[in-house]
Amino acid sequence: MKNNEAVIRFEHVSMQFPGVLANDDVSLEIRRGEVFALIGENGAGKSTLMNILYGIQTPSSGEVWIKGKRVEQYDPRIVIEQGVGMVHQHFMLVPSFTVAQNIVLSREPRKHKIFFDNAAAEAAARKLEAEYGLTVPETEAVEDISVGLQQRVEILKALYRGAEILILDEPTAVLTPQETEELFSVIRRVVRDKGMTVIIITHKLDEVMAISDRVGVMRKGRLVGIHETKDVDAAKLASLMVGRPVIFDELIRSGEPGATALRVEHLQVSDHRGLPAVRDLSLELRAGEILGIAAIEGNGQSELIEAITGMIPVRSGRVTVLGREVTGLEPGEIRAAGLAHVPEDRLATGISGLATVADNLLIGRQREPRFNRFGIQQNRKAIRDYAQEVYQRYDIRGAGVDSLAGDMSGGNMQKVVIAREFSFDTPVLVISQPTRGVDVGAIEFIHSRIMEKRNQGAAILLSSADLDEVFRLSDRIITLFEGEITGTFRAGEISKEDVGLYMTGSKRQGGQEA
Amino acid sequence: MIKQKINTGYLISLGVSVLLAFLVGAVILLCTGHSPLKAYGAMLSGAFSAPRHVGDVLEYAMVLGLCGLACDLGSRVGIFNVGGEGQLLIGALTAAQVGVALDGASAWVVIPLAAMAAIASAGLYALIPGVLKVKLKVNEVITTIMLNTVAASLCQFMAKGPWKSSNRTLIAATERLNADYWFGGLLRGSKLSTAIFAAAAIAFVVWYVMQKTTPGYEMKLTGQNPRFARFSGLRIDRKIILCMTVSGAMCGLVGMFRVYGAEHLFKPGVSNDYYFEGLMVAMIARYQPLATILLSLFFAVLKIGAEGLQQVGVPNQIYLIIQTVIIFFMAAQGGFLEQLSHSRNLNSIRSSKKGGA
Repeated sequence: MKNNEAVIRFEHVSMQFPGVLANDDVSLEIRRGEVFALIGENGAGKSTLMNILYGIQTPSSGEVWIKGKRVEQYDPRIVIEQGVGMVHQHFMLVPSFTVAQNIVLSREPRKHKIFFDNAAAEAAARKLEAEYGLTVPETEAVEDISVGLQQRVEILKALYRGAEILILDEPTAVLTPQETEELFSVIRRVVRDKGMTVIIITHKLDEVMAISDRVGVMRKGRLVGIHETKDVDAAKLASLMVGRPVIFDELIRSGEPGATALRVEHLQVSDHRGLPAVRDLSLELRAGEILGIAAIEGNGQSELIEAITGMIPVRSGRVTVLGREVTGLEPGEIRAAGLAHVPEDRLATGISGLATVADNLLIGRQREPRFNRFGIQQNRKAIRDYAQEVYQRYDIRGAGVDSLAGDMSGGNMQKVVIAREFSFDTPVLVISQPTRGVDVGAIEFIHSRIMEKRNQGAAILLSSADLDEVFRLSDRIITLFEGEITGTFRAGEISKEDVGLYMTGSKRQGGQEA
Repeated sequence: MIKQKINTGYLISLGVSVLLAFLVGAVILLCTGHSPLKAYGAMLSGAFSAPRHVGDVLEYAMVLGLCGLACDLGSRVGIFNVGGEGQLLIGALTAAQVGVALDGASAWVVIPLAAMAAIASAGLYALIPGVLKVKLKVNEVITTIMLNTVAASLCQFMAKGPWKSSNRTLIAATERLNADYWFGGLLRGSKLSTAIFAAAAIAFVVWYVMQKTTPGYEMKLTGQNPRFARFSGLRIDRKIILCMTVSGAMCGLVGMFRVYGAEHLFKPGVSNDYYFEGLMVAMIARYQPLATILLSLFFAVLKIGAEGLQQVGVPNQIYLIIQTVIIFFMAAQGGFLEQLSHSRNLNSIRSSKKGGA
């Protein structure tokens, strides 16, 4: 009875948002001491279901039971008391606080009931570390430690609050293969030794296969299946998620690399704090090739891309697009030189959520004569027709071109960005995180579009936190560590594990230039 | 920022807010021993009982409308121009002084020159916070508020000092304009002048540019998400500076209209925080040009009507109370409607479940 007992029970849970039924009559039991993977496309309702469990949202109907007790009031504080902990995709840590201070946050040990007791906080952190075998540098500021360690801090924070049931939302999205492996061994340990229950939300099917005991598949708000992991395989799960067979075709490459289209010479860039982020970096990108950047978040890849595209200033060095120097120009001027850009953060940079889908697809072409009457007045019909055509060509799904872009699901928002940027047909494409948070079906679509661009002769600089993606698409791969290139490889020349070593700076090739 | 859409939900909440505001006003009137019915009746007759009152309503609606549109223009690119009051005064003063300095010249020369002087001086005055915002990231709300005080003091200084009227009974005013330069009056005894035609033309152009044109579309995207606008290749710094300047120039023209249409000289009273009232109207209208213009008419009726209230012994501050209470309810409405729709969804799901079982 100890194991196999249901610690969490969802009974006919539905969640209605305006216009969307995010969860549709979901009933599910999660057993003590298991690793349960919850998978599904974007907008399938995984996060909503977990937010209900964590007390962030109140279901429209249905009941949730935690350890045999019905949840009366949906409030994270109460749910945390009952032993549920959640590690969000975006960490909820205070960057300037130390690791120990973050762990005890909201339940701080005090001296004389008033003053924060730092020594006790560190002692508590060390005790937890010993108990669960998770080491962290408890006296260092969170902003100075790696993403993998930050995630451990989040886990320890939940454990400190007494969590027995741990929800991990896309935990491996920001990790290297080595860090992922470490995370998994941590999960296995807490489940085996401490009898904890872990719920993991993910897109990555091979990880489901590697870590979970059971897997639940969600589609369009419904729970469409619960399986013992040992009874299924990744291909089966993918079809269940999408509702049709998914075949990851081998992408077809054609053509030979042409002339140099993008050249970066001795580039130095500072991050937003003014510290060096890109150090003396040089690379060359040729027409008809994809150069992939493999790096752990925060190693200069974001700054490199933003400096090339003109979003942030260049400290020194040169950037040349199709033979024209564009160093330090405004994004619009660099675009005019023949470059388009898919930004890493689509909500903050890639779209205007308050504008319609049509307006978001138009920008960049709004001055073209076909969209203007009398040279100034917007030709709404022409704009709508154009948007409609792009909308269909890129298989965007939503409430149509007149709906607000901000109301779309993440995957469709990304398709809007891709559709707009690819439609410029520029010789150079800079693409960052093309499929972050995008579902399997859309990934397949986006990847084949990128490959199509390459085969048509575009020069593509690709940065992705998803190593599989970098490996799948790139002709060449560079690894970045602390703003420097630590290695350059032809695709197929190196394994993911070896790349991980270059990404963490434990190995490097001498005198690198890409 | 308040959501940018005007829809039925908005119209309903506006209606409810106005009703509630009048209710609050009625309670205050009752508590102070006035009959609300009589008072509101006096308000209506204050606004409509005579042609000259209607004229004053239209004149005030023109002031509110242009000031509100000036505010809309800034907000469209994400900048909040709180400095319209100062820009208005600067424009009024320079326009008045052009008329005084060129006294004797043809009206065909003086009026265009005065308008240009108002546009240039007020536009330049608004350029300062615009440039500071773009180049040095100085918050425009702070700079524009401070520049209001500077402008008010400067104008008073000029009107009391170098440009003071020879008429000793006026403490702080410039010389009276030659009557040849006045905008023609439209309704006897009211302040309404032919300036309203110019104002209507300006309002149309501003509406057209904001709602219908490609530059207006670019402005909208800049205001909605500046990072995205810049990423997409727009020169957002230029747009922000331009819109701020035009916003200031519009306020300057309002000043000129006040001087050449109503007061016929410059005195600090050419504007009694009229810009701030216009700004409130713009806020209630969610920075939408058409709604701004319509609501300007509504609030002008209240304001001029409130002067009729004075005659039945009710202080006209009741107008300000009603206005601010409307804003208060409009601000509260966002959260309230959300609650409402949420519980409605709950109910519909519950009932559908019951029906299905």
